[in-house]
Amino acid sequence: MILEQLMNGLGQGAIYALMSIGYALIFGVVGLVTFVHGDVIMLGAFTAYYSFVLLGGNLLLAILLGFAVSGAMGFFIHRICYNRFFNSPRQISLICTIGMGMFLRNLVQVVAGTESKPIPNLFGSGSVTLAGLRITYMQLFIFAVVMALVLVLTIFLNKTRVGMSLKSVSMDKTASALVGIDTKRTTTVGNMIGCGLAGVAGVLLAMYYGTITPMMGGNIGMKAFCCAVLGGASSVGGAAVGGLLIGVCENLGIMVFSAGMRDTVSFLLLILILLVKPEGLFTRRSR
Amino acid sequence: MKRFLALILTLSMVLLCVAGCSNQSGGNDDPAGSQGSETPVTENKDPIRIGLSTPITGSQAENGVGTQAAVEIAVEEINAAGGINGRPVELVIQDSKSDPTQAAQIATMFTEDETILAEIGDFASGACMAAAPIYEEAGMVQLSPTASNPDYTLLGEYMFSIFGKTTDEGKFIADYLLKKYLKAENVAVIYVNSDWGVEAYDILSGYCEENGVNIVASETFFEGEKDFNAILTKVRQTNPDTVMLMMSYDSGAVAIKQIRQMDWDVQVAISGLAYSEQLITLAGEDCEGVYSEIGFVIDDSNPEIMEFATEFESRTGFAPNMMMTCAYDAMNMLAKAIENCGDNVTRAAIRDQLFELEGFEGLTGPKVFNEDRTITQRNFKIVTIENGAWKTLTDSDYID
Repeated sequence: MILEQLMNGLGQGAIYALMSIGYALIFGVVGLVTFVHGDVIMLGAFTAYYSFVLLGGNLLLAILLGFAVSGAMGFFIHRICYNRFFNSPRQISLICTIGMGMFLRNLVQVVAGTESKPIPNLFGSGSVTLAGLRITYMQLFIFAVVMALVLVLTIFLNKTRVGMSLKSVSMDKTASALVGIDTKRTTTVGNMIGCGLAGVAGVLLAMYYGTITPMMGGNIGMKAFCCAVLGGASSVGGAAVGGLLIGVCENLGIMVFSAGMRDTVSFLLLILILLVKPEGLFTRRSR
Repeated sequence: MKRFLALILTLSMVLLCVAGCSNQSGGNDDPAGSQGSETPVTENKDPIRIGLSTPITGSQAENGVGTQAAVEIAVEEINAAGGINGRPVELVIQDSKSDPTQAAQIATMFTEDETILAEIGDFASGACMAAAPIYEEAGMVQLSPTASNPDYTLLGEYMFSIFGKTTDEGKFIADYLLKKYLKAENVAVIYVNSDWGVEAYDILSGYCEENGVNIVASETFFEGEKDFNAILTKVRQTNPDTVMLMMSYDSGAVAIKQIRQMDWDVQVAISGLAYSEQLITLAGEDCEGVYSEIGFVIDDSNPEIMEFATEFESRTGFAPNMMMTCAYDAMNMLAKAIENCGDNVTRAAIRDQLFELEGFEGLTGPKVFNEDRTITQRNFKIVTIENGAWKTLTDSDYID
């Protein structure tokens, strides 16, 4: 039973990890506060829905579209919420993103309707059994995507010019500008990539759970925030591990207490870790 | 800095407009207003204004939009037939999001508007109960199509509900669905942590204790849960022969899918709340063979029901369910009661006439109020999903 719940937890944790990678990129690396992330994930989920309905069940196409549509939304979000308030206090952008989230939710309700929509799981119910534990192909695929993304992003951030300028902008805008980095353009790119990844998370999340609604963004956005902060927001890998950790703890929490305690467990964990290690689990030094 | 502030203000105003518009659209659809020129009711008499509080947005939006459409159909029919004693009916629609706080605010808004004479309430008990004290104090009828919490109508003389109580349903599930039909011995119950869910579970477990059906596990979750794997793994340990889900169709579809994904071959039953086409759309093949109970099914042999269902579907694109049909009945009952008031149409008179209404036969069955302003529901049927459609398994004479 414990092993099964551990597996359930890892499955769910992988979803959380997927959501929090984009969040960590925007919040931790680029240094932008955002509360619209959950709704961008929702946008990705709806892109998947329309891709499956209109263009057939092509997973790769859905993922690419999810990335493109959400990435484009990232561009607008940056335009509206960050660009104008670049040198203003951070809470102004923060409030803007909250408004942007409401706007997105209502927009999708108007365009797509209010009802829940079914999404086909292209992996079917296929699974492999390892030491008596069932792991579905869907879960394996999500794990693979999470690991690939962490790897690619880590290389991108540390080895490429754009990646390094992203990091430097988050450390010091003025100094970055002084050494010739176009700070606004760099953060736009960062936000677009982060939002694009949220879109990818939305596509996979939709397939994993099977149903989507325009209102799904609020709670998952908070979860993504939790995971990113828990893992140490500035590290993409840390956010992914934070996601897995929260997934596992929640499921073990359900085993011991009840499902009603799910969110209590994850937020308690967050508070505890923030008390002990305010900079997050996987950050070596505070910035 | 000023420019930033101005921008934020502009943005928030735009957002407010968007939010406002979504509410407004309900009001603008007001059939009495738009239909005025076509209908014979143009004697320039004061309209009879009725409030409708229903979740047009939010997680219950589908039921809410359906409720709105059903009530609008009823109003158009009434107005086409000459209104109530020559007065046209006018609807005032507000979006409650099925949220108790919102429902209470709407109650204040409706009761303060003296031209509104009665209200058709939310279909969910939680929202109705939050609004009840306000309607009671103002002396305005709150007629809920389906609020089934036994405590709801006890909150005041002006509270009405027309589709039975959770106690009726709970007894049916325990005695007839689980014990007699499914021959369940060990049942795991998963229920939503809401006013309705907790109440329904308490009642069900009470009756199960009486009739010997063993509840081996009970787990609860919050509305909006998407991952039931942990709960299912937990209840599976107790080896139940039947899983009873007490939740609405959106959670139900997810839970059923995940039960099947676990390769768990177990009988699954779900409460009548989830009876809808959407359950089948969302859960697809996985919901084949799931049992449920329902006090009302769209019956092809009844021309009146089919006429309503056809009209409803042409407007909304989906078939009406029990809640929506009850909302249609609620509007017609209200109209009948107001008609009986004669010239003296006041909030209090409507309440008295509604309570004394006799011989009203709605699409969802005969409606005669008990002392506590509820209706005893005995027309339950057992249904299942077969080949992607609901199929009735027993008739209402299944109750001995």
